[in-house]
Amino acid sequence: MKFALVGVGGAGCRLVDQILQVEQGSDRSFSGGNVLAYDTDKSVFETLDAVPLDRHVLVGDTHEALGGTGTDGDIDQAAAVAQEDRDELHREFDKLDLHEMDAVFVVAGLGGGTGGGVGPVIVEALTSVSELPIYVLGVLPTKAENGSVTLNAARSLQSFVTHGDNTILFDNESWYDEESPLAEQYWTLNETIAQRLLAVFAAGERQSADIAENRLDTSDVMRIMETGGVSTLGYAETDVHNPTTLFQRLRALFRNGEEDTTDAIRIKALVKEAAESELTLPCDRSSTERALVVLSGPPHLCSRKGFEKARQWLEEETDTVVVLAGDEPRPTADDLRVSVLFSNVTTVPRIEALKEDAVLTETS
Amino acid sequence: MGRKPPTTCPSSRPEVETHSPLVCEQGIANSLPAMKLATIGIGNAGTKILDRMLEFEYNTDRNLCRHALAINTARTDLAKPDFVPEDRRVLIGDTHQKAKGHGVGGDVDIGADVAKTDIEEIRRAFDDVEIHDVDAILVSAGLGGGTGSGAGPVVIDELQKMYDEPVYGLGVLPGKYEGGRPALNAARSLQSFVTNVDNFIAFDNDAWRMRDQTIEEGYEDMNRELATRIVTLLAAGEQDNTEVAENAMDSSDIMRTLNTGGVSSIGYASSKIDEEAGLIGKFRGDVQDFDDGATDAAKIKGLVRRAVNSRLTIPCEVSSADRALIVLSGPPETFARKGLESARQWLEQEADTVEVLAGDDPRENASELSAVVLLSNVTETPRIKELQSQAVDAQEKIKAQDAVREQEIEELITDDDNELDPVI
Ligand SMILES: Nc1nc2c(ncn2[C@@H]2O[C@H](COP(=O)(O)OP(=O)(O)OP(=O)(O)O)[C@@H](O)[C@H]2O)c(=O)[nH]1
Ligand SMILES: Nc1nc2c(ncn2[C@@H]2O[C@H](COP(=O)(O)OP(=O)(O)O)[C@@H](O)[C@H]2O)c(=O)[nH]1
Ligand SMILES: [Mg+2]
Ligand SMILES: [Mg+2]
Repeated sequence: MKFALVGVGGAGCRLVDQILQVEQGSDRSFSGGNVLAYDTDKSVFETLDAVPLDRHVLVGDTHEALGGTGTDGDIDQAAAVAQEDRDELHREFDKLDLHEMDAVFVVAGLGGGTGGGVGPVIVEALTSVSELPIYVLGVLPTKAENGSVTLNAARSLQSFVTHGDNTILFDNESWYDEESPLAEQYWTLNETIAQRLLAVFAAGERQSADIAENRLDTSDVMRIMETGGVSTLGYAETDVHNPTTLFQRLRALFRNGEEDTTDAIRIKALVKEAAESELTLPCDRSSTERALVVLSGPPHLCSRKGFEKARQWLEEETDTVVVLAGDEPRPTADDLRVSVLFSNVTTVPRIEALKEDAVLTETS
Repeated sequence: MGRKPPTTCPSSRPEVETHSPLVCEQGIANSLPAMKLATIGIGNAGTKILDRMLEFEYNTDRNLCRHALAINTARTDLAKPDFVPEDRRVLIGDTHQKAKGHGVGGDVDIGADVAKTDIEEIRRAFDDVEIHDVDAILVSAGLGGGTGSGAGPVVIDELQKMYDEPVYGLGVLPGKYEGGRPALNAARSLQSFVTNVDNFIAFDNDAWRMRDQTIEEGYEDMNRELATRIVTLLAAGEQDNTEVAENAMDSSDIMRTLNTGGVSSIGYASSKIDEEAGLIGKFRGDVQDFDDGATDAAKIKGLVRRAVNSRLTIPCEVSSADRALIVLSGPPETFARKGLESARQWLEQEADTVEVLAGDDPRENASELSAVVLLSNVTETPRIKELQSQAVDAQEKIKAQDAVREQEIEELITDDDNELDPVI
C-alpha cells in the first residue's frame, strides 16, 4: 500500500521520521517521501533526520499562547488554535501527492497537547479534502505520566476514532521499561512500532518483488481496516538457520496427531506466536472483527498447508469469518516473519483503565 | 456465427443438433470439426486456469482456445500469465474508488459493481474477438474471491445478451480451510453462475488439495490437472485435416451433453503408451484395474472406469448425473471400439441414464491414452451442500457483527457516565 505520513506533535514527528528512515534504507517504497511533520514546538524539528525541512510545519507560532514552544499539554487550546489556522494547515496538504496514495496515516501521541489536540483537527481536515481512507497511528501514554496526559489521551481517543477511518494503537504502558526514563526509550519503542506497521502495510511494496502467489492487495488491507474502530498489531520472526531448539517447542504446541511436514509445523507455530505475541495494544483477541495475516520469507520455506491451517486456526481463535492471509516472498531472506492485524478490537482492558484514570482526573 | 442478429434468433438458446449416441450399431459419426472456444479468465484464479489451459493446448498441439481474454481488477495479477498475450488482458475498475487497480479485497459486491461500471470496456474487448468461428464461450473464475465471483456473472450475463453461442462456466469452489468469507462469496456467486451459464463445470479445491507444497508452488499442480481435463474434453474431435475416424467425437455431442445446464463434473484417467508394443503399457495412476494379459478392449473399459472412480473435478454421486459423455483420446491404433462401447454401457448403469455418448479423439503423436468422462448436471455434490451451510453461518456472523459494530466502538471509546468529552 502507498500511504502518506502526517506526524503531529513530538511522538508523531519522531515516528514519521523513524518510518521514513526505514523506508529510505530499504528496497521498499510506500510513502515515496509524501510526509508532513506538524508541531507547535520547533525544537522537535531539530531532532528529525529523515523528514526534509520543507515538510516541517510549525503550528500556532503567531498565537501568543503557543509561540513556537509547545502547548504545555493544553489540548483544548491546541485544538482551538488548529481550528483557527485551519486554512494554513490545509495548504500544506498540497505538498502531498495524494493522487499517488492509497491512504494517509496521521501519527500522534494521544496524550500530548499537540498530538491529541491538533491531531484530530488534521484528521478531520484530511477527511474533508480527500476521498482516501485516513488512518491513525496513535500512541497511548504510560500510567506513570501525569493525570492530564491520561485525560488528554482518553479524550483525543474519542475524536481520533470518530473522525479517522481506523485507529491503530501502540500502548507505551505495556511496552516501556519502568526502570529507565520513558523519553530515553522513545527510539527503541518507535523502531518496534515502525517495524510492525510496515510489516503489514508495506508488504508487497518491495521494488524487486517477485509477485506473491497469494499477494495481499491494497484492497485486501483496506477491507480489513474498513471496520473502523481501534486496531492492534502482532508480530513474530524466526531465523531459518536455527530450527533445532525451535522444533521441540513446535512439536509441543501442535501435538494433534496429524502428520505435517516440519515446514508446515514451523509456519503454523510462527503464526500462532505472532497472534499471541505482545500486541501493540494488548486486548482480547476474540473481540476482533476482522483480521489479516502476512507471512514473509524465503518462498521455499513457506508451506502452503501450514499457512492455511494457521489462517484457519486464527479464524477460530478470533471467532470471526473475515481473516485474510497473504504472503510476501523474499528469496534471499534468512528469516521468516509473520505479522497479524486485528481490526476493530472492542475488549481492551488498557482503554478501560485509561478511561477510569481520566475520569478520576476530570472529576477531582 | 457472429453477433446475435437482432431479428433472426429466437430468445431461447438454440438446441444443438442432436443425434443418437456415437457408438451405436450404425457406427459412423457425422463428424463436425472439434470445438472452437472463446475463453475468458476472470480474477486471479480464473486467469491462472486459463493460462494453464493455453499451456496444455500448446504442449499437446491442440487448437481449442481460439480467443483468450483475461479480466482482472488487480494490476499485479494481470502481469502473471505466460500464455495470455499482453493485449488480451483487461484491467477493470482502475478508476473505481474502491478498486483503483489493486483488486477488490475479496468483496464480491464490489467485484460485480466494478464490472457493471466498466461493462463498455469489457464489451469493447469482445469487439476484437472474431466470434464467427467460435462454437462456445468458456468463462473461468475462482468463486471464493471478489473479482471472479462478482465480475464473472456480470460478464456472463453480458455475453449471453451479445451472443447466441452457449456460455459455459468453469468455476473453482474455495476449500473449507479458506474460511467463512470465501465460502459466502462462493455460495452467492454459484447461484449467479449456474442460473446464467449453459453449464457450470465445477472444481473443488478441497478435493484437490495437495500435500507438502510451498505457497509459491501454490495451485500450480491443481491448475494443470484441471486444464488437462477441460481441454482434453472440449478439444475432442476431428482435427481439421485428419482423416475421419470411425467413432470420432464431435463438438455437437459435447455441447448436447452440456445442454442440461446445472453443475457438472469431470473424471479423467490416462495410461502411458508402451511404444515398443504399440499397446497400452503400464498405467500411470494409482490403481491397476486389470492384469497385463487383458485385451485392449478390457483395458479401455478399465481406463474409463478408472476415470469415473478417480478424483472428479467435483466429487459427486455419479448416479445423479443427467447425461454423460466419454472421450477416449490417444493414438488411434490403441482404440478398441468394443472396449469403448462396453465402457459406455457400463457408465449407463453407473450414471443411471441412457444419455451416455462416447467417442474417440485421435491424436497420432500422443504418448498417452486418456479417458475423460463428463458427468453433466450432477445434483448430489456434498461439497456444495457443505459450502452452503458454511456460507449461512458466515453470513449470520457477519450480520451480527455489523449490527453491533457502531455501538461497541462507541462503548470502547466513551466512559459509562459520559464525564469525558471529545477534543473536537
Ligand atoms: N512511543 C513513543 N511515545 C512517545 C514518543 N514521544 C512522546 N510519546 C508519548 O506520547 C505522548 C505525547 O507526547 P508528545 O508527542 O511529546 O506531545 P505533543 O503531541 O508534542 O504535545 P505537547 O508537547 O504537549 O504540545 C507522551 O505522553 C508519551 O506517552 C515517542 O517518540 N515514542
Ligand atoms: N484451483 C485454483 N483455485 C484458486 C487459484 N487461485 C485462487 N483460487 C481459488 O479461487 C478463489 C478466488 O481467488 P482469486 O481468484 O484470487 O480472487 P479474485 O481475483 O478476486 O477473483 C480463492 O478463494 C481460491 O479458492 C488457483 O490458481 N487454482
Ligand atoms: Mg511536544
Ligand atoms: Mg485477488
